[in-house]
Amino acid sequence: MSELSVVGKALVRTDGLRKATAQVTYGVDFKLPGMLYGKLLRSPYPHARIISIDTSQAEALPGVKAVVTGKDSPEGLFGSRINDQPPLAREKVRYIGEPVAAVAAVNEATAEKALGLIRVEYEEITPVFDPKEAMRPGAPIIHADLGKYQASPIFCHPVPGTNIMNYMKIRHGNVEMGFAQADFIFEDTFTTPAQHHCCLEPHAAVGQVGLDGKATVWTSTQGPYKVRTESASALSMPPSRVRVIATQVGGGFGAKGRAKLEPHCVLLSRKSGRPVKIVLTRHEVFTATSTRHPSVIRIKTGVKSDGTILAREVEVILDTGAYSESGEIVCWEIGQGAAGPYQIPNVKVDAYAVYTNKVPAGPMRGFGWPQIMWASESQIDIIAHKLGLDPLEVRLRNALEEGSVSATGEVMHSVGLKECLREAAAAIGWDDQRPPNRGRGIACLTKMSVPFLPSSAFVKINEDGRVGLLTSAVDIGQGSDTVLAQICAEDLGVGLSDIEVAVPDTDTTPPDMGVIASRITFHVGNAVRLAAADARQQVLALAADMLEASPEDLLLADGKVFVRGSPDRALSLAQVSTAAFFQKGGPILGRGSFLDEDVVPTDPDTGQSPKPCPYWKYGATAVEVEVDPETGVIKVLKLASAHDCGRAINPLLLNGQIEGGALTGLAYALWEEVVFDGGRITNPSFMEYRIPSTVEAPNISPIIVEAEHHAGPFGAKGAGEASTIGVAAAVGNALFDAVKVRIKDLPLTWEKVLAALEKKADDDRKEA
Amino acid sequence: MGWRGVRLQSQHLDIAPNTVGFGHTPVLPAHNGYIPVALRGPMTHALCLTVNGEALEFSVEPHLTLLDLIRDHVELTGCRRGCDSGYCGACTVLLNGKAVHSCSVLAVAADGAHVLTVEGLVRDGRLHPVQQAFIEHGAIQCGYCTPGMILSSVALLKENPQPSEPEVRAYLSGNLCRCTGYVRIVQAVLAAAESMREERA
Ligand code: FES
Ligand code: FES
Repeated sequence: MSELSVVGKALVRTDGLRKATAQVTYGVDFKLPGMLYGKLLRSPYPHARIISIDTSQAEALPGVKAVVTGKDSPEGLFGSRINDQPPLAREKVRYIGEPVAAVAAVNEATAEKALGLIRVEYEEITPVFDPKEAMRPGAPIIHADLGKYQASPIFCHPVPGTNIMNYMKIRHGNVEMGFAQADFIFEDTFTTPAQHHCCLEPHAAVGQVGLDGKATVWTSTQGPYKVRTESASALSMPPSRVRVIATQVGGGFGAKGRAKLEPHCVLLSRKSGRPVKIVLTRHEVFTATSTRHPSVIRIKTGVKSDGTILAREVEVILDTGAYSESGEIVCWEIGQGAAGPYQIPNVKVDAYAVYTNKVPAGPMRGFGWPQIMWASESQIDIIAHKLGLDPLEVRLRNALEEGSVSATGEVMHSVGLKECLREAAAAIGWDDQRPPNRGRGIACLTKMSVPFLPSSAFVKINEDGRVGLLTSAVDIGQGSDTVLAQICAEDLGVGLSDIEVAVPDTDTTPPDMGVIASRITFHVGNAVRLAAADARQQVLALAADMLEASPEDLLLADGKVFVRGSPDRALSLAQVSTAAFFQKGGPILGRGSFLDEDVVPTDPDTGQSPKPCPYWKYGATAVEVEVDPETGVIKVLKLASAHDCGRAINPLLLNGQIEGGALTGLAYALWEEVVFDGGRITNPSFMEYRIPSTVEAPNISPIIVEAEHHAGPFGAKGAGEASTIGVAAAVGNALFDAVKVRIKDLPLTWEKVLAALEKKADDDRKEA
Repeated sequence: MGWRGVRLQSQHLDIAPNTVGFGHTPVLPAHNGYIPVALRGPMTHALCLTVNGEALEFSVEPHLTLLDLIRDHVELTGCRRGCDSGYCGACTVLLNGKAVHSCSVLAVAADGAHVLTVEGLVRDGRLHPVQQAFIEHGAIQCGYCTPGMILSSVALLKENPQPSEPEVRAYLSGNLCRCTGYVRIVQAVLAAAESMREERA
């Protein structure tokens, strides 16, 4: 590739100055004249029929301007790929915290008071909280209409008449034969808890509906178009009658990818005739938005005595809570990767997403892969220790590489896994001698990208030669405004500061499927390149006229068009774009749309596809820990996180992504768990659900590995989620290395470590 | 109805809000919307406050928090509500030079005080060295924690111009960030300390 001037550089983020000085407007800050404040009345029961709702007293309270219930949106259902959720409960409620009614009033206190005046009569139904129980015949059915819901046939295979919202399977080779040939067979069951996103900015939205019925929503969202589609679906409106504008977003991590309170703002505004703002309290964010999926994962692996993996059989049960909330696609993805990033000739996977009467589990940084990699990579370690092999060597022996065939029948490309393993191991001194109670652990990670998510971009050359970049990618902190601007600047031969990135707005910026699945750099980046190429070609055509040269002889660099070989025959971009304005009557407007066209839907019976997704990410996490045998506390001394990101468009921002994701992964490993008592969350505050602060967080070493992808913009893949994925297994493996106890249930709390140490001491005594 | 009861209760448990932030000075626990019976009613208090150098007068209800006052009345949105219960630090301001969680300070308790928010850090169009370092070192992602983080760092460097890394980490422990993993935040504070020392020299 020729010299690049903007791409690949560690440039500071373009919105840093505004954020350091608080010149940004988050969802919680947004205000309109005459605005009302909304509050949601939520179900106190996990599963109950709604007999009646009496809102008369609430409506009579001075200051209350509107009260809405399920009757105000009698039909529409929404969801990500399966529409199973009403904006306000209709006949029944399915989790504690489900919205039942909403109030808009002149201030929050009045709205809150009005909630207390709404009388709801419920009749309780037997709830079910455990996904395995929910799968048994005779379990209470949470969605009687499961078979009637509108669902994507590519990703969703619900089992009507049960609580199985999605079922996916992989059949590759013949596992029975593989097990028969194996020298050893291992079978283990691992579990993971719910984890919470903990965006520091709570969910917030403002809705305004005119008398003409058009709704405008300003919201702290990762996916303006997704919110538009889902809100329209929930309210039975045409999508283009809902305009969604993204505010600044104070953290997303998956929690803000979909409609949450936007439909309620619209309903309340429609009824009151005034703009309505809803901001969730921290308690509501914890109890009534979404979590990472809890899971139970059973893995059976057959290996030869040299560590070669011959067969793997995996059963995954995801607790998806009361509504799908993207659980269908988490299930689909987790199934794809259940065998791990290895060359295994025989694979069988059955993955289920199961409804329970709990707050919906949804997408969260890593999207199912932290769960599956915890299980898969812990077991690889168990195997290595049993066979007396180096865990690093076992991984390197089986790891995918360029040209390997995956468990879903794909010939793999852009696979930097082995290099990541070697680099992460080296960074913590893999082979160093360690004192007692210290240990090292490593784990691979992989994650697929979600297929069939188109992106588009417009590039507008202003009359001053500066470039407007219009996409619907929201910079939620990951730095996409900067990265996309770098790509655009590179292709148009201008500087980063010459690019103005537009605010995502579904009335003006082009469609996009949202800041999810680490897809922005790849998908939107490709769309930006196409749009920039389109604009560039228009610039060159016009400049060719003006310079009386042929377009092929022109170069575009440093904000100028010039004739190859004679740099003084040149025009500034401003001159060309001004000419376009005044001679052609319009700006130069480039357009680009990208879809991973070569992706083939997986076979529903075998999960096989020559190309199930646009690209795969790979990486490895290595840690060194010290375990205090008296307290059971695991202290992480070193954490190295290596990532094959294809190509780093901006290493400074990429390293920030790796570090942030790794800490979320470490929190998942050691501390965080949303605790349920039946359907009720018992730790819904930052006091009870502790996220790591500066004192708990270790220093993290990010490592960038570049295995360029032929379809990526400048070879880049995605980066946002990967580093969260492999941490838990690396820590669990290091725990074993340090004190020889294996824990199969996250998080690895000091209580569990102590109990395991005591049990081990007992067992050792008995043996002696 | 049980639901709302739950919400109020769990917020009430957080009555010792200033125990988290090492660098945060206890002032008065706020009651987060709960008004003790004795305080109910339309009683208001006169209050003088200097905010970012400007003397302001207010008449406030006794349960109003400093956070509410700054966000809703002074309309400085750099002071952010993250949890409203003293645990996240997004609402950090400097109260007479000390970093406090403004959600956990009653406005009336700040009568006569000097309040500095992130909006007041820029002098003559020049960023504070801590702000500059946060930008340059990639210490900002979503930016929601950033103002609080910057203000706590400013307070730290005033108390201790040459902090070690563990001292920085200890001092900032009352400011949560979910995005960055803190690596670059700590680097930025150490770099700012360095550049402020050079400026003084
Ligand atoms: S809002 Fe004050 S500490 Fe969280
Ligand atoms: S930058 Fe997002 S919370 Fe710190």
